[in-house]
Amino acid sequence: MAMRIPELKSQYIWAILLAIFTVAIIHPIEIPIPMSKATLDVYNMIENLPEGSIVAVGGAYVFAFDLESSASMIACLKQMARNHLRVVFVPLSVEAVQMHKYCIDMARVDEKYGGPWKYGRDYVQLPYMPGMDAALVAFLTDVHSAVATDVYGTPLDELPLMRDLHSYKDISLWICIHWAFPMIVRYVTSERGIPSVYFAQAAAYASYAPYMAMYPGKVFMTLGFLGGAQYEKLVGIKGLGYAAMNAYSFLVIAFVIFVILGNITMLTRLGEEEE
Amino acid sequence: MISTDPWIWLSALLTICSYSLLYGDNPLFRIGVYTYAGTVIGHSVVTGYFTLKSRFLPLFTGQKPILIIPLILGIMSLFVAWRKYAWVASFPIAVMIGVGTGISMRALMMTDIIGNVKAVISEAALIFTPPLTDQIGYLIKVIFTPIAVFYLLFTVFVRSPASKPAEYLRTIGKYIFLIYFGLSVGSAIMQLSGLAVSSLYRLIKLWLGL
Amino acid sequence: MSAVVYIRLYLTRILILIGMLSVLISWYFVSPEADVIANELQIWNMNIATFTLFVGLLSVYSRYIRSIMNREKYWQYHLYAAILIVVWIIFGLKVGLYSDIYQKAYLCTKITLHIAILGQLVFFMISACYRLFRMRTLRTAIFACCTLLIAICNAPIVSATFPAADKIVFWFLNYPASAGSRALLITGGVGGVVLGIRILLGLEKGALRATEV
Repeated sequence: MAMRIPELKSQYIWAILLAIFTVAIIHPIEIPIPMSKATLDVYNMIENLPEGSIVAVGGAYVFAFDLESSASMIACLKQMARNHLRVVFVPLSVEAVQMHKYCIDMARVDEKYGGPWKYGRDYVQLPYMPGMDAALVAFLTDVHSAVATDVYGTPLDELPLMRDLHSYKDISLWICIHWAFPMIVRYVTSERGIPSVYFAQAAAYASYAPYMAMYPGKVFMTLGFLGGAQYEKLVGIKGLGYAAMNAYSFLVIAFVIFVILGNITMLTRLGEEEE
Repeated sequence: MISTDPWIWLSALLTICSYSLLYGDNPLFRIGVYTYAGTVIGHSVVTGYFTLKSRFLPLFTGQKPILIIPLILGIMSLFVAWRKYAWVASFPIAVMIGVGTGISMRALMMTDIIGNVKAVISEAALIFTPPLTDQIGYLIKVIFTPIAVFYLLFTVFVRSPASKPAEYLRTIGKYIFLIYFGLSVGSAIMQLSGLAVSSLYRLIKLWLGL
Repeated sequence: MSAVVYIRLYLTRILILIGMLSVLISWYFVSPEADVIANELQIWNMNIATFTLFVGLLSVYSRYIRSIMNREKYWQYHLYAAILIVVWIIFGLKVGLYSDIYQKAYLCTKITLHIAILGQLVFFMISACYRLFRMRTLRTAIFACCTLLIAICNAPIVSATFPAADKIVFWFLNYPASAGSRALLITGGVGGVVLGIRILLGLEKGALRATEV
């Protein structure tokens, strides 16, 4: 009679996974991060932007999902600061302001952390702009009538960076770190021809890959935490992306083992069912 | 060395509250849920206040008096929470629906429909351009896309002479979506494991100092 | 239908028409008048949408207060949340949205909880995969193999050992997966346009249902 393998209770699986995460966090191992063409394309495109170019960073969704994109964004902010680019943060959702602040603080590019950027001259945080698509279109049409002040309440005319930004024509690149990327492609790239970069959440990459095919050379995407780890490697830091991929390398082994175990369990019971 | 930062302690305790769901529904988890609800609503209100100040600054400074109209409409929109007078909110909502629908209609037409159809047609030409892996890829895309569209548009199919071939196409469409969702789930595992690492890192490294 | 309801109904339809047509005409035709109206309506749309941030407060409080007064199930938690909302609002208004302390508080409460809730999903997902990915039928086998393929090839340990793994991931995501997502985008676009036309013709109420008496 064939050996009958019992069904694993979910709680045991969770306990094993928890142990794997704990070991991976306490004792991370040095893992190589191979480079993908997708990430390299984004990096090179930003490297080739002329000094002083205005890059808009914005979109809409929730912080927790966008955390995955923050790994790439933080590395990208360091790159942009190094290359003397200028950034305007355009929050189109309630949590986007907090997300943008998180990225800028973690990147340590502001002069208060010893970085090269000065608020108002090199980067500006705009306040939340409600209305999603309509807000984005209004912003692209005429920035100064769409929004009157920055997040601190300072009139835009008093900010050196905002004196150079009047409409979409002054924007060289749009970076989206939020799930609502289709909105950016539709109104920024498709209608106005501005290239856009999406530090995609892994699950969103498959959904939005058609936009890259629709606008080759204008729409670029990286893949989740893997893209984040790769971007961090390009910039020379080790952040959330690297830590996530470290743990993921262990997790995937457990995942495969559980699936194989499940199938073996099924096979041992097949004979029983036939009997 | 265990952390002495009260914020780290707060986030660690809330993480434990959240992960206690793995044990089962319990009061700790409920505290976490209602803390979440409270902070979300509180944050919305705080954001709303500062956004109002920013958005109506031209009205308060006298630069744009016409903004009194959206101010009145905005106050009217709050009546949606009051069942008896919810009809008052229909006017501002109508303005939002009109503008939002107009903007999204033109974008959907141009990008999602025409843009995708153009891409399929241009990829049909790229089937004959090496390398081989790309050629196979474009061939798959060009064949799979119309079949998948057929599957979505004709989910319910009326009995007719075309029923049998339609059934085959819909079966293939089903498998196309199985592949798509399978690949998405595989990617999602990476995404969610990263988020789990982020929260457990806070617990293990920042709080417990291990 | 009374005169008031009649006026209400047609006034909302007129407002929808003005909004939609001004935006569409300003995009497809050269019309400075339509441009002015469209731009102004977009600003008004943003300003009106700001007030929606307060609707949540009103509806949640009406429910919680009723629950607390009637001592319904979980009323203690509702009381806790109601107090927390007030405390949070006062705290936020005092320190400012973009201040370091507000950011810290927000990250350590709401964001921590949200990330933890989402992070838990990986546990549920893997235990679900253990039960679901039993390859008895072709459908399950295809679904399971696609998931496993992407999950394995995404791991840096695998792609460092087998460089082709990285190319496999992107090939599958950019070609077969893209076909399915493209179909969703096309049909979603068609659905969106049809909905827009129905709203234009007054056949669809959409969000206006919430305002029906």
